[in-house]
Amino acid sequence: MATQYGVQLAVHLISSHFGNLVAKVCDCLLRKGTLTLASVIRFTELPPQQVKSCILVLIQHNCVQAFAIQQEVGFGEAPRVVTQYMALFHNILHRMRFAKFLAIVSEELDKECEEILEGLLQHGRLTLEQILDRAKSNQSEGEPVVQDALRESFLKLVRAHFVERCPASEPFLAPPSEEETPARKRGAKSAKLVEEPQTIEQRAIAAAAPMDAKRFSVIINTGTDVDDSPNVTAGEKRKQDALELDKETGASCEKDVLWRANFEEFVRCLRHKACIANVKTRLDDGAAIVLSAMLEATRSEEKKVKTENSVPLSMDTIFEGVMKSEAGRSMTLERVRGSLIQLGCAPCVRGAAESYSVDLKNIIELAQNDEVESITLKRYGRDAYRIFRLLSKSCRLLETDKISDTTFVEKKDTAKILYQLWKDEYLQMEKLNLHGSRQSQFLLWKVTKDTLWGHVLNEMYHSALNLSLRVAYELEQEQEIIQLPREKRVGALGNRFERLRKVRILLESSLMKLDDAIMLFNDF
Amino acid sequence: MAFRGRGRGRGGYGRGGVGGFGIAKQEPFVLFPDIELPDVSSVPEEKNLVIRNARLQNYWKSSPYYLEDIVPRKSQSTDIERFSDRVKLRTTLKRDPLEQILRLTSNNFPLELVQGMKGATHNKRKVQWNPESDMQKLELFEKLEKKLEGQDEKGGKEKKEGENEDEDDEGGEEAAEEEFSDDGDYNQNIDFDDDEDDFNMEDDNDDEATY
Repeated sequence: MATQYGVQLAVHLISSHFGNLVAKVCDCLLRKGTLTLASVIRFTELPPQQVKSCILVLIQHNCVQAFAIQQEVGFGEAPRVVTQYMALFHNILHRMRFAKFLAIVSEELDKECEEILEGLLQHGRLTLEQILDRAKSNQSEGEPVVQDALRESFLKLVRAHFVERCPASEPFLAPPSEEETPARKRGAKSAKLVEEPQTIEQRAIAAAAPMDAKRFSVIINTGTDVDDSPNVTAGEKRKQDALELDKETGASCEKDVLWRANFEEFVRCLRHKACIANVKTRLDDGAAIVLSAMLEATRSEEKKVKTENSVPLSMDTIFEGVMKSEAGRSMTLERVRGSLIQLGCAPCVRGAAESYSVDLKNIIELAQNDEVESITLKRYGRDAYRIFRLLSKSCRLLETDKISDTTFVEKKDTAKILYQLWKDEYLQMEKLNLHGSRQSQFLLWKVTKDTLWGHVLNEMYHSALNLSLRVAYELEQEQEIIQLPREKRVGALGNRFERLRKVRILLESSLMKLDDAIMLFNDF
Repeated sequence: MAFRGRGRGRGGYGRGGVGGFGIAKQEPFVLFPDIELPDVSSVPEEKNLVIRNARLQNYWKSSPYYLEDIVPRKSQSTDIERFSDRVKLRTTLKRDPLEQILRLTSNNFPLELVQGMKGATHNKRKVQWNPESDMQKLELFEKLEKKLEGQDEKGGKEKKEGENEDEDDEGGEEAAEEEFSDDGDYNQNIDFDDDEDDFNMEDDNDDEATY
C-alpha cells in the first residue's frame, strides 16, 4: 500500500542509494502514477538525457517497469504506441531488507551463493557472464575462483528459486477488447463475483513476467539443459519441448539473459519464519517444529506469497520432515499428531489418504492483532488496551456504557480513552439518537480492521523514515571522524567514533526490527 | 507591499486579528525534538544485518548508478583554493560511466531510452566491480568483521590502480573525446573529468593550469 509516508520512505531510500536526481524522478512516478517519458521530463523539469539515465537506473534495479500501450487518437489517424513507466513501490521498499535476503541465503546455501546474490543485489540485474566476471575480480589471493564451482553455486540459487529471469523490458498491452462484457455477465453466476477488473499496472506486470517454465530455467552454453520444474505437467512438458527446439537458435542469446534476485521467494521465506516464530511463542516448540517441517517441504509448491493455507501434506511426509530436523528427531508420532491439532489443522480426507494443511492466514492475522494490541498498550495504557481488545474481538459497534461495564473501567475514563483512540484514528464512532421517553444520545464505537491496518502501516513507515533520517544525520555529523585513518582515532576522537558505531548499530537494528513489523502488515 | 513588510516584522500579528488569526507562537525549529525513548537493551542487536547493509550502501555510493547533480566546476571554486581542498579532492570517487555496466540493448530496456545513449554496444573497458569506496567506513565495523576483510581491501586498492593504467592503454575512440593528459600516475588522484558522460561534456579543462 503506497501511503503518504510510504512514498516518502521509498523516495528517501532511492535518494540515499542513487542520489537526488534519481530520487526526483522516482518521486514523480510514485506521486503522479504511471507516466510517459515526456510527462516525466515535464514534471521534473530536468534535462531529457538525465531523466533517461535516471529511468535506466531505476529499471536496472527493478524499481520501475515499462510497458507499451496503444494510445487513443483522433479519427483518421493511425494508432500510436507509447511507452509508459510505472514505479514498483514494493520493490523499492525491499531495498531496506536486502541484508535479510543475504542472511537467508547464507543460512540455507553457502558463502559463494551469498556473494553471487550480493552482486545481483548491488547491480539489480546481471548476465551469467557478468556474475562470473565479478567473482573473478573479487577473488582473494589464496583462493582462485573455479568457474565450474561458480556455475554450480549459481544453479543452486536458481533451483532454490532465489534467482529468476528478468521480466520483459517493454511488453505490449493490447487494448481491452469486446471479451470483457460477456465475462461480466458470467461473473454473476461464478463464485468470484467481486473480482475487480485488472488495473493497467497489474496487466503490465503480468504481461512482463516470464513464462513459468522459463522463469527458473538455465541453459548453459555447454549444451546441457538444466530444468528445475519438479512437477512437469503435460502443458509444461510441451513448453519444455518447444524450448528444446528453440535452444539451437536461442543458445547464442541465452548468454545475454539477465538474472535478478527473486524477491517473491525471499518474502515467502520471511513469511514462513514469521509464522513459525508466532506459533513458537503462542503454542510451543513442538508445534513450531512441525510447522517448520511442513512449510519447508512445500515451499517450492506455493503458488503465491500470501497463500491462505499451506499445501496439504500426508501424515507420513510430515513425520519424515520432522525427523529430518535436529530438534524434531526426538518427537514421537503421537506428539506430532498433538501438535497438528494444536495448530488447528483437522485432517482432510481425499481418497484414501488424509492430508493436513495449516491456516497460515489465520496465524498472520493473530500476529497482526498482537502487534496492534501491543502498540495500544504501550501508547495508551492498560485500560485502553482492554477496551481496544474488547472492541477488536467483538467486530461490531458497542456503546460506551457497555464497554465500561465489560472492561471494568470507570465511565469517565472510558469516555476519555475512547475519544483519544478515535482522534488517533484507531476507532470509528457513530452517534445514535434515541427519541423515546427522554431524548438521549449514545456513542457507539467500532474497530474497522482494514482502515486501522492501513493507518498502522502508515505510522510504521513514518517511524522507519524517521529512523533512517536520524542515522543519515548522525553519519553526516561525524563525517570527518569516519574519514580519519584508524591510527588517528584516539582519545576524544576515538570516543566519538565509538559512540557513532554504537548509535549506528542500535538505530539500524531497530530499523530491522521495525521492518519485520512492516512486512507483517504489508507483505505477509 | 508595505503592509506585508510590517506584518512580517511583528511576527504575524498585524491587523489580521479580526480575521481570526491570533498571535502566532514562534517556536524555535528543533531538528530532533526530545521524546521518551524505549529501553535501549530491549533492542536485539543485529550486527550481521547492519554490516551487510553498510556494505551494500557503501557500494552504491561509489557505483555508476549513483547519479550526481551536475554542478559547473567554475561555480564551486569561488573561494581561494586551500591545501585542505586538495586533500578533499583526492578522496572524491571516480565512477564508471553508466554505459559501461548497463547492457543497453532494446532487449533489456525500452527502445526510446536506449536510442539516445552512447555506447549502446558493449564497452570494452573492464568494469570496476570493487570501486574504491570509503574504506574508512568499512573500518567502522572492523572489530566485528573477519580479519580477511583487511587483506581484501588492500587487494582491491591495488587492483584499482592496475585497472586505471589499463584504461589509459585501452583508450580507443574514447581517448580523442576525453582530452586525457598522459602524465601517467601524477594526475591519477586529482579529480579530473575523464569519463565520457554526456553530463560532463560542458566542462572546460580547468585543471591544465594546476600543473
